[in-house]
Amino acid sequence: MHLKEHRETYVVYFILILMVLVSSLLSDVFLSLRNINNILRQSVCLGLVSIGQTFVILTAGIDLSVGAVISLTSCLTTGLLMGRDALTIPVVLLVLAIALSIGFCNGFIITRTGIPPLIVTLGTMELIQGGVFLYTDEPYGQISPYLEVLAWGKLGFIPVSVLLFVITLVVGIVILRQTKFGRHIYAIGGNEETARLSGIKVNRVKIYTYMLCSFTAALTGILLASRMGMGDPTAGEPFMLESLVPVMVGGTSLMGGKGGLIGTLAGIFILTVLNNSLNMLDVSGYWQWVVEGVIIVVAVAFYLRGKNWD
Amino acid sequence: MPEKIFEMQKISKSFPGVQALDTVDFDGKYGEVHALIGENGAGKSTLMKILAGAYRQNHGKIIVKQEETHFSSPREAQKLGISTIYQEFNLLEELTVAENIFLGREPTKNRFFLDKSYLFGQSEKLLSQLGTQIDPHRKIKYLSVAEQQMVEIAKALSQNANIIIMDEPSAVISGKELDSLYRIIQGLKNSGKAIIYISHRLEEIFEIADRATVLKDGKLVGTVFPSNVDKATLVKMMVGRSLSETFPEKVAGEKSEILTLKNITQGKSLKNVSLRVYTGEILGISGLVGSGRTELARIIFGADQFDAGEIYFGTEKVHKNSIRKSISRGIGFVPEDRKKEGLIECLSVGQNITLLILDQIKKWFFIQKDREENIANGSVEQLNIATPDIDQEIQFLSGGNQQKVILARCINANPKVIIMDEPTRGIDVGAKAEVYSLIRKLAGQGTAIIMISSELPEIIGMSDRVAVMHEGKMMGVLSSAEATEEKIMMMATGYGQEN
Repeated sequence: MHLKEHRETYVVYFILILMVLVSSLLSDVFLSLRNINNILRQSVCLGLVSIGQTFVILTAGIDLSVGAVISLTSCLTTGLLMGRDALTIPVVLLVLAIALSIGFCNGFIITRTGIPPLIVTLGTMELIQGGVFLYTDEPYGQISPYLEVLAWGKLGFIPVSVLLFVITLVVGIVILRQTKFGRHIYAIGGNEETARLSGIKVNRVKIYTYMLCSFTAALTGILLASRMGMGDPTAGEPFMLESLVPVMVGGTSLMGGKGGLIGTLAGIFILTVLNNSLNMLDVSGYWQWVVEGVIIVVAVAFYLRGKNWD
Repeated sequence: MPEKIFEMQKISKSFPGVQALDTVDFDGKYGEVHALIGENGAGKSTLMKILAGAYRQNHGKIIVKQEETHFSSPREAQKLGISTIYQEFNLLEELTVAENIFLGREPTKNRFFLDKSYLFGQSEKLLSQLGTQIDPHRKIKYLSVAEQQMVEIAKALSQNANIIIMDEPSAVISGKELDSLYRIIQGLKNSGKAIIYISHRLEEIFEIADRATVLKDGKLVGTVFPSNVDKATLVKMMVGRSLSETFPEKVAGEKSEILTLKNITQGKSLKNVSLRVYTGEILGISGLVGSGRTELARIIFGADQFDAGEIYFGTEKVHKNSIRKSISRGIGFVPEDRKKEGLIECLSVGQNITLLILDQIKKWFFIQKDREENIANGSVEQLNIATPDIDQEIQFLSGGNQQKVILARCINANPKVIIMDEPTRGIDVGAKAEVYSLIRKLAGQGTAIIMISSELPEIIGMSDRVAVMHEGKMMGVLSSAEATEEKIMMMATGYGQEN
């Protein structure tokens, strides 16, 4: 789209390739089909929710309630299904609808009251997570055999979950790059006042992005439930902040208007490749945190370079 | 004759593309109010920022208290006793009056603890010297604008300022508050301070100034004693200039009434404004900053609501106006602040151009890239926008080219009425001429143009009719033949009769 964005995206992908090269030198099994499949599978949960997060951040917003939505949807899916195949479609639709309405509430409160998104979504996060714990405070319910396909099934040699991720990603990219809605997202993130003076329905567009974000969080929740066989009230916890990392590492500005899903995709892979290779090298999980922290700061400093340094 | 406290000799300053000041002399004396007057953009603020150490001159000398000085920061100027009270106050809303007065110079006990009794005691003393009863314990956010101004003056006094620059202090206050400001200025003057009073309101010059220096286009016109001259002389000094710019020939298009405003009132900013706008002509709106020009423009565009009055678009009465409705009726808006309200900096030139017409270039849900490129390239060519290509991010273009992009965005939506607020602000001479001929061409094609401008030559050179505003009131509409700089300036400062 923009030359500058391209150049920066190239750099992120260059780093990703470098990481893959180093990992494959350090470990024989890294490039095995099995491990690649593993990496893809690991990417999917974080990937899905990061797609939604990218939309919100592009409008200069943020959604901290995704973790709670993931926990909620994972428990609700299994709790309502209790292993019954016949209920699969209605339950999934209901869960997605609930997620969409949570996103709507986030967006509605943010646009109507002017309370910063950080605070609103922190509030809804607590509210929803509390509700989940009231519903169940331990793993609960049972996934239906049909829905197990989501986590474990394959189409040819491609895991169904990876397929779901690729479809969501492609739809996301098309929305951002080729639709009026996507253009409006960039316009609002770039300059909300100009967007308003250009007749863009700023509030409505923002609400849609929060709905999209909750929707992708629900997909992650259902996928996690499918993987574990039952719902986990703490399943979403790590995602609240983790979902921001690929977006930032991928070059989307927290100030909005800049970046996109191609960058987020690189961010997702950088994180999973890092975890995967450090795991294989038997490095403690705590070190993974340390390295991840360094990557975040270095990446954002790279995008801002020169801007605040003069 | 009092002694000079400072002297600025042959000061020149240029910014990229503009000669802001050209060998200007200026001085101040102990116990004197020296007014600095001129139109917007005459160079008053630049000159004072140089004196206050915020800018550095390219040429010229500054002598303060008999010593030549070179300020490299406002702080150094402050140390020499030069304080500026800007129109936008430098106060922290959440802190108390006393804390603001001593901000950055907090008195301490044992080098670490705040000396609160000195802080509040000294503040109270300073404020009572000014004859005000503001409680130094109150937070700034609970004070009126006039009271905040007093705090600023107290702050200047606390720094032992003996040269106090006031940048249009009357722009934010009025009536009784103004009277008490005059009294305070009188008191400061009697205590031997030199006051520089920037303004473009003539009546106050006669009220308080001992001397008045007039700037025009960055040049010194002259220094006079208000007691020896009349208003007309001052106006002539402010505006009388050679028309160096060339404006396109005034050829109006087909004329029919398209927009009618009846008694529009909005809070304190607009009072009973009535106006008729015709297709095919350029209606200039003139007035000083704060006269309600921008507020009027925003109301017509639907960006703000009005309290009373009626707007007719053609014969249709406008109910509950909104930006979207205005755009669909065919009203275009080129805002005053290009950066804050006009551009979307992260988007490309092409994306900025097509922002208003995405509906026309999309098929199903998808924006047709080829149509978008065609339209954007067409605009770039038609308006002669200097850019490597349409994918360039707009922030890398020059001001003039950015403005052309915003005009292109507006024109592509095919509006019947275009409101332009300061369409040539901050753009270079070449781009100005191009914008002028574009505006005239649009009018020739039957578009109604409402052009707000602070630059009188621009208003006179471009407009078929000139509406002049003063303090929210419509002072009158002049025909092209009637509109002279003197006449407009008289009306804009409140001397014409209103209708």
